[in-house]
Amino acid sequence: MTLVLLVPLLLLAAACIVLFGRGGSEYARAKMAAYPVGAAFLGAAATLYLVTTQGPVSIRFYDLSSVASFAIPIGFYVDRLSAVMMTLITGVSVIIYSYSTGYMYQDRHARRYLAMICLTDFVLICMVSSANLMMLFLFWQVLSYLLYVLAHNHAHPGTLAGAFKTFALLRVADTAFLAGIVLAYQLYGTLEFQDLFIRAADTPVMLALWPGIEMSGVTAVTLLFFVGAMGKSAQFPIHLWLPGSLFAPTPVHALLHAGIINAGGFLINRLAPLFGLSSTTLHVAFVVGTLTAILGASMMLAQNDIKKTLGFSTIGQMGYMIMECGLGAFALAVFHLIAHGLFKATVFLNCGNVIHKARQEPHFPHVDHQTEEPGLSRLTWFTGFVTTLFIPLLILLVTHGVLRIPLLESQGTVIFLFFIWITSSQAILTLTRLRQVASWKVSAAMLMTLLFIVFVYLFAVESFTRFLYPDPEEVASYFKAAGLADWLFDLIIVTATILTVAGWSYIYLSAHGMSVRMPAWIDGVRIRLYLPFMNRLYADELYALAGQTIMRLVHQLDKRERGWSQ
Amino acid sequence: MMDSTLIPWLLTGIPLLGMLACLPFQSNPEGLKRSAVAWVLISLGSVVAFAGHMDVPPEGLLPLYLLPLAATISILGQPVHEHHRPSWMLTLLFLGLGLSVLSTQPRISLLSLTLLLTVIAGLLYRHHSALWPRSWWGIGTYGLGALAAATSAAADAPLSSMASLLACTVLLPLVPFHDGHLTALTRLPGSLPSFIVVLLPVVGLHGLATAMPSVPDIVAWTISLFALVGASYGALKALAQSRVRLLLAYGSLSFFSILWWFAAASRTATPRSALLVGTIGLATSGLMVAWQVIRTRYGDDVDPQAISGLATGMPQYAVLLSLLALAAMGLPPFGVFAGFMGLLLSSPFPSLAGLFVTLLAWLAASWYIMQMVQRLLFGIRRPELRYTDLLRAELASLLIVVLVLLALGLVPTTLFASEGTLFEHLTIGDSPTWNR
Repeated sequence: MTLVLLVPLLLLAAACIVLFGRGGSEYARAKMAAYPVGAAFLGAAATLYLVTTQGPVSIRFYDLSSVASFAIPIGFYVDRLSAVMMTLITGVSVIIYSYSTGYMYQDRHARRYLAMICLTDFVLICMVSSANLMMLFLFWQVLSYLLYVLAHNHAHPGTLAGAFKTFALLRVADTAFLAGIVLAYQLYGTLEFQDLFIRAADTPVMLALWPGIEMSGVTAVTLLFFVGAMGKSAQFPIHLWLPGSLFAPTPVHALLHAGIINAGGFLINRLAPLFGLSSTTLHVAFVVGTLTAILGASMMLAQNDIKKTLGFSTIGQMGYMIMECGLGAFALAVFHLIAHGLFKATVFLNCGNVIHKARQEPHFPHVDHQTEEPGLSRLTWFTGFVTTLFIPLLILLVTHGVLRIPLLESQGTVIFLFFIWITSSQAILTLTRLRQVASWKVSAAMLMTLLFIVFVYLFAVESFTRFLYPDPEEVASYFKAAGLADWLFDLIIVTATILTVAGWSYIYLSAHGMSVRMPAWIDGVRIRLYLPFMNRLYADELYALAGQTIMRLVHQLDKRERGWSQ
Repeated sequence: MMDSTLIPWLLTGIPLLGMLACLPFQSNPEGLKRSAVAWVLISLGSVVAFAGHMDVPPEGLLPLYLLPLAATISILGQPVHEHHRPSWMLTLLFLGLGLSVLSTQPRISLLSLTLLLTVIAGLLYRHHSALWPRSWWGIGTYGLGALAAATSAAADAPLSSMASLLACTVLLPLVPFHDGHLTALTRLPGSLPSFIVVLLPVVGLHGLATAMPSVPDIVAWTISLFALVGASYGALKALAQSRVRLLLAYGSLSFFSILWWFAAASRTATPRSALLVGTIGLATSGLMVAWQVIRTRYGDDVDPQAISGLATGMPQYAVLLSLLALAAMGLPPFGVFAGFMGLLLSSPFPSLAGLFVTLLAWLAASWYIMQMVQRLLFGIRRPELRYTDLLRAELASLLIVVLVLLALGLVPTTLFASEGTLFEHLTIGDSPTWNR
């Protein structure tokens, strides 16, 4: 029990060490604070072991039977999901903090910045280990404000505008989250997670939104929570704050993209039993996630700034993660966000070095060494074809025919297999962009990639699903709730398959210098789409226009009114 | 043990005695300020000592504690200047009258209220300027409030309860009787606006707790409608303001209207209502004191647009102003959030649309307050401005507000009301209009 409390307290202590002390000792204190941050990681890892072996830990500093102290009920509930998130956050924090002490050395406001990093970690840990929705929401909101503060260089107009946009957009999502909490409490009379799940399952409630228009209570509640999650996880159309915050110091981005942005996925997983009761919300999540993944990835391809490119890559990945939630694969989403978090933290920290190096060396990155690379050999392409198209088909047939898993009736299994295929195709296609030295090496790399991905999915993801959701019936119920109509599911699978195969063929033909016969209008559309995607679909401008229109209306109303400001 | 009937007189008498004791310091502003602070602290001590021996009103004892605290903050936050002498003494007078309204028996309470509103109307008349013709509306509103309070004291039910309700709409501002609130916060001198923004709403809530249960359905429905209009109107007007005092006045109107909506739905005022009203008042009061700090340095007519970059030049001020802004926006872990959540979770809602408007008003505060704070604290440091961080008294004043708001966000409501009172008013899940 003490261990669970120790993790956030150590982070708070680190913030205090950085913040308070005599002048001149700032750097020494900043270095010293790394120890409690490291200790917090060890504590989180120990907590993970503890809850894995002994079950969830629950600490409540309030009395459930009393309403007197209900306004902000402080308590901790650490299960496997919380412990995994705690370990991820503290692990990433150790790296980011250590990196930041060097990166921000001699910055005028390094002390405030480092303290804020520790405080953000503290808030994140408290959020993921909250005992109830109210406490979760409390830290959720504090996080929205901390993101504003972490923009750091508030004297710079661009930074300030980005920070304000971040705060304003996140507050919109926070408001929806609050509405969800209020509605949940009014309908079910509790904000304790387990009680809420039980009551929501036992008490079907219908809400009359308008005469003749009704909605299930659990759908209304989960939709509002989902909007809250959309904000923190930068889902379309509330995604703009993420690229808008690009002026923040690079380590902040690492923390943001590796830890903070996962809050949406965590929220949906924390409330998985509730989301599992509403097919409508899961379908909405699937649509929003898919749209975000497609738009995020497309916009990423058209950016010319390293931070923006990575930012839109994160948006795409978060869309992918939310899409997984929408398909009922909650554990897969957590696995995804952990993998993405570790990867993106590394990339961002490296990106900081690249930016610094580019500032020091005007000719970096070097563009004068670009030479035409030889095309891939037939062997390489044959391996690629076999690994991405033939083997998955074989696996599918073996699974269906030999193991007799009824694929057509189990969307969940298809989803897992499909993700294996998509991921391996993506990874193998990426290999074709490497500067190959010998075709057999690339072929071996392709085979290894496929084996690695299949292994990870079959063992790690399956084991991870069992780890987070030990009850197979619960997992099956989520897949069932998320189940799409057969025709729609088949259509999505077939479309995605065609697109993947077409992409593979297009790259193959292009790499061999063959002209790909495309109708003129497709080329025209491609060119026309480039500009809007490079300009991020003009969403910033649209938001600015909406803001200006609202303010113009407000001022007009103000002037018409007999008011005081005339 | 003191006779419990004497306690209200004692609570009322101490600040009034303090006002008389300040008279000899007329020629010494610093001595006068010290004396005024000492007397409000004595008053706070007396409230702490004797509140436990009094009957607990429906809204709890929190308002009693808040009044001397708000008076302390308001007086401390003012710079020492001979022009502020009358406002310090009037703060003591208002404190005495306010404590009388809250603690004495109904008839005397209403008479004290009449006197309080009359004095405020008179003061507004005294400070009326031809440049502000609209302040006539404020004077008229307080005059109407005083008349309503006097009628309530003299008449029998149901006229008395309706008159009392009318007085409440003036005290705890509700559209269309909000002009008094706006005038008082923008026109009164010295420490008075920052005190009155706590005093009058708290006193209004006390009256509301008595008047609301006997209100007919149609009146409650009308109040509910006005409350929603007020919440939106206040938020929209606040968004359009560039002058800080007006922004704060409209912002607080928006939040107080939210309270009215809850009160109309539950037909009562609970300790949670007192928490919301008290903390909104206190947060606004703190922001007014913070604005006074700027006026002290850069002149009474300073344009907020002309100031920026205070965060680097005045770090203490920046931290405290940021925290106050967070509290005023209704963010955790401060009292406004606790009060707002307490009411959201414990009151029945007549409509989802009302809840939507309420949440939008709450959201809008994040916009206008944040913009104001951002404009002052961040941006480019201006070479033409001299940045002087908080003086000791200013620091103490702002620090007290922040700490009190923090404490009110964290401590259990049982500290100010018995748990029985809380359970009495709890109506969880009682919203049959949209739930079947």
